[in-house]
Amino acid sequence: MAFTIDFDPENPDLTSDTDTQNEIFIQVFNSGDGELFNRLYLDDSISNFSGEPLTGAARLAFFKEFLVSKPSLKARVTHSYIAGDVALIGVDYSIETTGPDGAPLLLEGNCTDVLRRQDDGRWLMAIDRPVAATGLVAE
Amino acid sequence: MSQLTDNLEKRTELYVDAFNSGDFDAVDSFYTEEAVAVWEPGKPLTGQARRDYQREFLARKPKMTAVPRQSFVTGDTALLIVDWVIETVDEAGVAERLTGVGVDVLRLGEDSVWRYAVDDPFGQD
Repeated sequence: MAFTIDFDPENPDLTSDTDTQNEIFIQVFNSGDGELFNRLYLDDSISNFSGEPLTGAARLAFFKEFLVSKPSLKARVTHSYIAGDVALIGVDYSIETTGPDGAPLLLEGNCTDVLRRQDDGRWLMAIDRPVAATGLVAE
Repeated sequence: MSQLTDNLEKRTELYVDAFNSGDFDAVDSFYTEEAVAVWEPGKPLTGQARRDYQREFLARKPKMTAVPRQSFVTGDTALLIVDWVIETVDEAGVAERLTGVGVDVLRLGEDSVWRYAVDDPFGQD
């Protein structure tokens, strides 16, 4: 797995820097490796990508299924607020993927992400909440 | 988990009561020390700047109603989505009605009290 950004897959850290967070998130998402992407989250972190709030094994299973076809993510940060050991980030995203019928599908919207700094200093995803403008991520 | 969510919704009610009382110190107690509030879109404020802005805003005796739309709780962190309406007056004293969808991050303190870490009233278009 080649990343063009400083990133340790064994010990992921989204850092406190918003642009670095976004770039790591994009590159790991676009790697197609659901297991690796899942490591950006804590076990009890909540992902709403599927349309349902998922944690733990259910979230991992969804990420693996969703990313296996290597959908392509672009994301632009719209705002970022850091309050001590927690951060709220907003991004506009677009994802090029394939629909159930095999036809190209474009998913667009904006997403709210909550990040938490861990006791060891690493920043990881706590909650994501996409609001889809076009299509639904789960379909 | 549901207990925490219940506490969170109750917290919103208490926050609205404090807001509508116009008592800034009561409202301020709902925020963490490092809290960021974005009561004016694009202008995040923290610390004394946040307090000064909120104190002035509350001096006009605005009245808020808020309806929680969604909440996500993981450990000591929560994301709350709230539909709100505020009736206030503008700088010229003319009645003004503000509405928005708030996107708020709350933290559970060691005293088991939820406090706003990020208060973004216009967080969702």
